[in-house]
Amino acid sequence: MPGLRDLLPRGALARGSVLAVQEFGLLCLALAAGASAAGAWCGIAGVPEAGLLAAVGAGLDAERTLLVPDPGTAWPQVVASLLEGCELVLLRPPAAAPVQVRRRLEAVLRRAGGVLLVAGDWPGAQVRLRVITQRWTGLGDGHGRVRACCAEVTADGRGEAALTRTRWLWLPAEDGGVAVADPVDIPVTDAPFPRPAAGLRAVSAG
Amino acid sequence: MRTPRADAVPPRIMVLCCPQLCGPDAGPQAARWFERVITTVTGFCPDVEVAEPGVCAFGARGPARYFGGEAVLAAKIITAVAELGVESRIGVADGMFAARLAARQASPASPALVIPAGGTAGFLAAQLVTVLADQDLAGLLKRLGLGTLGDLAALPAGDVASRFGAAGETAHRLARGLDSRPLAVRRPADDLSVAREFDPPEPLAEPVVFAARALAEQLHEGLAARGLTCVRVQVRATWADGTDNSRRWRHDGLLTAAGVADRVRWQLDGWRAAPGDGQYAQGGIAVLLLVPDQVVRATGHQLALWGEAVISDRAARAAMRVQAMLGHEAVLRPVPGGGRNVSEQVSHVPFGEKREPPLAVGPPWPGRIVGAAPGVVYPVPREAEVTDEARHLVTVSGRCVLSAAPAWLVVEREPARRVTGWAGPWPLSERWWDPAAARRRARFQLITDDGRAWLAVVRDGRWLIEAGYW
Repeated sequence: MPGLRDLLPRGALARGSVLAVQEFGLLCLALAAGASAAGAWCGIAGVPEAGLLAAVGAGLDAERTLLVPDPGTAWPQVVASLLEGCELVLLRPPAAAPVQVRRRLEAVLRRAGGVLLVAGDWPGAQVRLRVITQRWTGLGDGHGRVRACCAEVTADGRGEAALTRTRWLWLPAEDGGVAVADPVDIPVTDAPFPRPAAGLRAVSAG
Repeated sequence: MRTPRADAVPPRIMVLCCPQLCGPDAGPQAARWFERVITTVTGFCPDVEVAEPGVCAFGARGPARYFGGEAVLAAKIITAVAELGVESRIGVADGMFAARLAARQASPASPALVIPAGGTAGFLAAQLVTVLADQDLAGLLKRLGLGTLGDLAALPAGDVASRFGAAGETAHRLARGLDSRPLAVRRPADDLSVAREFDPPEPLAEPVVFAARALAEQLHEGLAARGLTCVRVQVRATWADGTDNSRRWRHDGLLTAAGVADRVRWQLDGWRAAPGDGQYAQGGIAVLLLVPDQVVRATGHQLALWGEAVISDRAARAAMRVQAMLGHEAVLRPVPGGGRNVSEQVSHVPFGEKREPPLAVGPPWPGRIVGAAPGVVYPVPREAEVTDEARHLVTVSGRCVLSAAPAWLVVEREPARRVTGWAGPWPLSERWWDPAAARRRARFQLITDDGRAWLAVVRDGRWLIEAGYW
């Protein structure tokens, strides 16, 4: 996904690395969908409310997805098992992970060569992603419908990801996917109804 | 199907009736006792029909010839049942109805009443009409002067049918000694499960897994000999302390004995206190039982040529390991489907089961919410309150008129959020023809000042958050 690639070091999810996203949401699903679209198996653990329709819209292959809505108290073992079968595991830990558990899972992760995407806090994550602001378009005062969301996403982390990068993304765009937002299109905060961006551009182009 | 013919030899039916086990005062233990009675009776005659609690019937001709006469057979069965501590009566006649009457009339002194072949018509003719199950009809017949079944049987069948209808016709047939249907016997069920006891209880997993392999082979042989296969296999391990653990595994006739043994290993691993720890906290395994679940006729298995996504081995193993830890229903695969509500549009199927959406994708679903899909879909909608500027609850009338524009949103006990944009109400009245599934609701989309969007519904005057867009 072009929009997400800009945020990641070397433009891809590095095998054996941990990504932490501050809160579960469309950003997590988009990252998982990107990997799934590239042929990976995805495991989603501990997120019973994952909106899979949005993920499928962003490119997730439902055929190659495993859900473990409630991993229970033995969640480290469940995640370790999932990591051995799936290239990407999206996890929201039911409880704060102690250091030993994190070390063990990271070891499994390096051996299996997958990616652990944590919705929540994970000290030692190579990349940390966060949605700073988001603005939905399409909804007025009593009319319209939610169409697309323009989100400002920031990424920082350790090592080569230490440099903070911030991007405006359509998350999701009107077609359900993820796209880089053109600064012209970004809706203004105070305006209750967004400018008809496409129309404006057509006029300026003509 | 064979149709009974008038000149056919009438069947000889033996009815066994246990007065203690039938009737309303039999008690909850009666069914269990009667099951034991039937097991005893099947020792004499394998095809037994259970007519009602405490009453069973079977064809007497074959067994009677083998045991040397109907009276001898009846005496043997009564003795065998008496050994269980259950009193029984037996009636033998040409036909079920007459045999049941005979069993009912047998006395404790002579518990078997055998109506000789050909004597059934005479036996029935002497019976009062009150023996009929239809007491209204019996009362009517009595008032008309037809006191016995013989009087009723003497009337022409056509006249009885035109005067008394279907009930009269049935009674007339019974009075003539014709049964409404042939005997429906039950075959004793074959027990296809296999078990292995460990004495002393086995504290290590390896010997149990090794035994499981032999058991699975035995199970497959048993199924194959009957031309059957099972959809799932249940593995039940009983521990030394009496607790037991059981899991169902997808089989579909595809698992080899080694495959079943693998699943037993995963299942046992799931109960070990910690990985790498050899001993079980429950003190070892006492019994390992494999039960074929959902036995079906083996029709062979054909792999799909196209379309069926092949599950990669690694992922399947991972999924089954997690199933071993948490249970079959803990690992799900999403199936996008149709439907009007966001929660219906993706259904979840346990890993290994057939993936089919309950609601088809094909037909249009007018009223479904179009536009962006929510990233968060709550399995159980969250309580919420939507209020107007004056902090009064926003209500929706039956004609979808809003009391005021939404201004504030409070989700459960979270702080209030300012509503900056909204749309709705979009009414939805679903399945009004089915009172159990009928739903009427009005849906809204709200945007709050923190940049989030919400899918809210009003149902029975209450606001609920079904999904969130973030």
